[in-house]
Amino acid sequence: MNQNQPQSSSSEGRTDDDSALSDFLASLIDYTPTIPDELVEHYLAKSGFQCPDVRLTRLVAVATQKFVAEIAGDALQHSKARQASIPKDKRDRQQKDKRLVLTMEDLSKALREYGVNLRHQEYFADSPSTGMDPATRDE
Amino acid sequence: MATREEAKINGARTETLITISNNTTAGIRGSPDDFGRATAKLAVAQLCEATGFHSVKDSALESFADIVIRYLIDFGKTAEFHANLAGRSQCNVFDITRAWEDLEAPRGFSNGMREIMNYAESMPETPFAQPIPNFPVIRERRNIPSFVQMGETPPSKHIPPWLPALPDPHTYIHTPVWDERVSDPREDKIEQARQRRKAERSLLSLQKRLLLCNNNRNPNRNGSTGTTTTIPSNSAIGDVNEDADVNMNVSPVVLPAKLSVIDGDRVSVLEAFAPAIEMLGNGGLCDEGFEGEKMVLPAVTERPTVHFKFRTGKKFIRESLDDRNRKKALHAILLVGREDERDDKKRRAEYILRQSMENPQELTLL
Repeated sequence: MNQNQPQSSSSEGRTDDDSALSDFLASLIDYTPTIPDELVEHYLAKSGFQCPDVRLTRLVAVATQKFVAEIAGDALQHSKARQASIPKDKRDRQQKDKRLVLTMEDLSKALREYGVNLRHQEYFADSPSTGMDPATRDE
Repeated sequence: MATREEAKINGARTETLITISNNTTAGIRGSPDDFGRATAKLAVAQLCEATGFHSVKDSALESFADIVIRYLIDFGKTAEFHANLAGRSQCNVFDITRAWEDLEAPRGFSNGMREIMNYAESMPETPFAQPIPNFPVIRERRNIPSFVQMGETPPSKHIPPWLPALPDPHTYIHTPVWDERVSDPREDKIEQARQRRKAERSLLSLQKRLLLCNNNRNPNRNGSTGTTTTIPSNSAIGDVNEDADVNMNVSPVVLPAKLSVIDGDRVSVLEAFAPAIEMLGNGGLCDEGFEGEKMVLPAVTERPTVHFKFRTGKKFIRESLDDRNRKKALHAILLVGREDERDDKKRRAEYILRQSMENPQELTLL
């Protein structure tokens, strides 16, 4: 296995990193990421990533999982902030607090920091003249 | 897209999968990536639940899964790029490290893999909810057997035997089993009318002969226009009620427009005519019989009286014979009316009658 060979520069930090990495890779065999291996392998193969080593695919899976978790966490904070800002009486707030729903708005806000612009239709109208002033609407 | 129902992810994770699969609208063609997308949606929903959400909006889940898939593909592309840059075709951990740093650059300086390691250690292990097979499923492809495998020799020298065998000749050579007969409906109708006319002529001539016979025997009686007599449906002439009275009030008028099918039994008509035709011999019938030609009828002395009943299209019974003589009327009569109902039977009856006219000797077989 060539993956665990150290690189040319041999500072101590590097070796520490490398040893930590090798330990981590060893531990990856036991750890099962939430994103299944087959899924990761399929999409990696689609993009040309070739590696027979299962640890590397698990590494990619863990990296993706971290990515998802970060976005979900940001969206959660957004939705909590939204709930806090809506002026409602205490009774309703108690009930609503239990339901945390991931919506498109929170997701798009969270993704904006990652450089993903997720545009989402706010509403759909029946015809181009819906909602216009009745005087100006030509029917 | 309007917001759809939320997908509950509380506890029962299998429910998410069922909800996802129920959301596919019938009629939309599935893409080959559907399974991957569904699996990704499930994984993302699980992760959201682990983060703390109680439920997820469906559209948000789909977008999120789409983004995750793109992330995976991007990761692979970047890692592969770095490997190729180093002159390798297979990726190793350092390619992944560099790819990770590339992807994480918008977020600012990252600590390399350390972040991932920290994350992995902090997160409790939550495996995927269901076992999934290795996909995409590779379908077994059956190759065409070669010449050698089939045990055949190639037809000519230039074809090596390890090539796939040629297809069987019956797959590409079509030999017709029978001669194609072009059916012309108009021609068929004309032919049908002609056969009917022939049958009618024979019937009429037979009638005339019977009349003559009866006139020979009973010169006093004259047929007048009137009713017909009856014949039991399934009997041959030999079995007929032997009545002394010849209730043959059959005028020359009475001729059915269409050949009668007595009670749906066409053979009886033939049987009725069979002895008469036999006695006439070969040259007895001719087409122009009723145009006034004189025909020599054999003296039939011992024939039993025959009761005929012709149940036909009733409106035609009283047509005058003069009209019949003019064949043009026949067309109108024949082709009008309940042709459709009795077509098949009449065609068969006429066919048999025609056959009998052509081969009188074979009547005994019937």
